[in-house]
Amino acid sequence: MDPPRAQQRTFRRNAHVAYFQRCLRALPTAAQGHDPNRITIAYFCLSALDLLGALDDHVALEQRQSWADWIWSLQSPSGGFRGSPYMTTLDDHTSPPHLPSTYTALMTLAVLRAPLDRLNVPGLISFISSCQCPDGSFSPLPAADEYISAGFQNDVRMSYCANVVADVIDAGLPTQTQTDFIARCKTWEGGYASRPGVIESQGGTTYCSVAALSMMGTIPEEPAASIRWLLQRQIGGFQGRPGKLEDVCYSFWCGAAITILGHAGLINAEADRAFLLAAQSPLGGFGKEPDDYPDPFHSYLALAALALSHQDGGLKQLDPRWNVSRETANWLREEMIRVA
Amino acid sequence: MSSYIPLSHREQWADITPIPQDDGPDPLVPIMYSTEYRDAMDHFRAISLAKEHSERALELTEAIIRMNPAHYTVWQFRMATLLALNKDLETELELMNEFARENLKSYQVWHHRLLLLTEISPQSPSKEIDYIHDSLLPDPKNYHTWAYLHWLYSHFSSLGRISEADWDREVRWCEEMLRTDGRNNSAWGWRWFLMMSRPGGKGTQDGGKGEITYALKAIHLIPHNVSAWNYLRGILTHFKLPLAPLSPAVVPYTEGSTAFAPVDSSSFDFPLPSVPLPAHTPLPVPLALEFQADALAEQRRTGEASAIFAELSQQFDRMRAGYWEYRRRACE
Ligand SMILES: [Zn+2]
Repeated sequence: MDPPRAQQRTFRRNAHVAYFQRCLRALPTAAQGHDPNRITIAYFCLSALDLLGALDDHVALEQRQSWADWIWSLQSPSGGFRGSPYMTTLDDHTSPPHLPSTYTALMTLAVLRAPLDRLNVPGLISFISSCQCPDGSFSPLPAADEYISAGFQNDVRMSYCANVVADVIDAGLPTQTQTDFIARCKTWEGGYASRPGVIESQGGTTYCSVAALSMMGTIPEEPAASIRWLLQRQIGGFQGRPGKLEDVCYSFWCGAAITILGHAGLINAEADRAFLLAAQSPLGGFGKEPDDYPDPFHSYLALAALALSHQDGGLKQLDPRWNVSRETANWLREEMIRVA
Repeated sequence: MSSYIPLSHREQWADITPIPQDDGPDPLVPIMYSTEYRDAMDHFRAISLAKEHSERALELTEAIIRMNPAHYTVWQFRMATLLALNKDLETELELMNEFARENLKSYQVWHHRLLLLTEISPQSPSKEIDYIHDSLLPDPKNYHTWAYLHWLYSHFSSLGRISEADWDREVRWCEEMLRTDGRNNSAWGWRWFLMMSRPGGKGTQDGGKGEITYALKAIHLIPHNVSAWNYLRGILTHFKLPLAPLSPAVVPYTEGSTAFAPVDSSSFDFPLPSVPLPAHTPLPVPLALEFQADALAEQRRTGEASAIFAELSQQFDRMRAGYWEYRRRACE
């Protein structure tokens, strides 16, 4: 039996910079499953380098510009962004824009400080409107197709993505049906499930619900029950549901939800930080728990969780709603005014 | 090298001109695709552009999905092809069972399955329900599987195809799940759906008595069970019932705390904790202290409530020290 590995206690900034740079250059065959969503992996890596304050030093300006060009190539002629060029066949029907990819594409362009003159804002508004369903939910792709809107793809994750985009471009989506939809996702426990009636709360879906409501300018009903449920999830790091193990991504989902609800100070930041640091991989990045292999998703959310509490000198402050650095969020707001 | 024969070397595909992916001069996060995957996608792009819903499209989409079960566009094309060719959807369901066994489960696999069931629309979904029950055995907390089970019951009950006997059988199955693992939060959530939130749920018909009893019995078996305490509180909130009348069932778990709340249990008509308590029950149980503190706060006995919150913060639940301190201050 191996002796327990010495737990990491220091923040390994340089290793993380190297990790995200490696991912940006190439992903292994094992990552083929991410093929339709490459822009989201790119967002994790670039927003991570932004939080680490490493973009300017480690990525040349020309490189940032040509990466931005790749993202622009994903913009659909009718508005919105595709997740990757995997279906580019010069036919908009075979490669429709995708709601989560549209959110991450927009944030990544902002991280790269790409001028947004090329952003098709009217198209973007009509795209997100086309994803909205009569019950207030959103589908990941335009909802006219029965295949897309049937079943349970229309969940609060989509509400979250739609609301960030709407918040950035000031789309003025109708909110009443939306808030009704999210209110119906609240469970007996005080958190939020993925869809109305779905049986239990989960950290990620609770974050999406709370963040979406807050971007619509509403306060969730009975926030005390949500705060109680969210803080009950801390067992060192955070678990996503009662009885589950800690996982670094829930330090972000639960921590950011608590922050948006105005109670960041109630988190046991010391215990959370100890768990997050212990999950660092020796080669950079974070696994979902200590001794796990790193992946871009958990690596980014672990960094975002650390950035929430502003404890690591090397990390920029985080905007808990848009999930990018405050610096980038501010730039994006200014840029939208400029191109308006 | 592998013995892979490229599709373009096969007669069946000879008429297709593959469309390679145009990743531009400087792509972000390029993936080192396997030869098979790249070849299959080059052909998929071509048949997708041609909207070719054919037998070979079914073969190709299956091959891609086996390499990448998260490929939503490929799934969508496959479904359209199945419907266009009027294929036997039961056979497709069999294939999905095989996928589940091979652990190719993803969001898309469940979505596809849901669409198949909608199309097949059996008179009774009992076979599918049995299948889902079985697939929860090795993975009893899988969020997607539970969400799918919820969809099955919601969808087929809206079609009038779930009888009262079916509902009763499901409640018994759920109780068996909780007997196996009383801490399975998903099973607690399932109970909430069956008893409380589905139209006609039996737990809504007696003012909460039955569900309170059920939750207390579960607490008495496993006093530190978060899910059971949360369920109990959920029921009380639902019926807008006060907490204090349940104190006799809670007080034994507060032993070790200096907070003492005298209770009158003379007219108490709910299960009491076992005497002695289950072996290896560390005392006090923080969830019981929280319950007592909330009960006291509700009765405006704020001094006593804040004393308990202080104990939680300083002694019995240090992980949430900040939260309990916040609750304590809110009492004053
Ligand atoms: Zn995770």
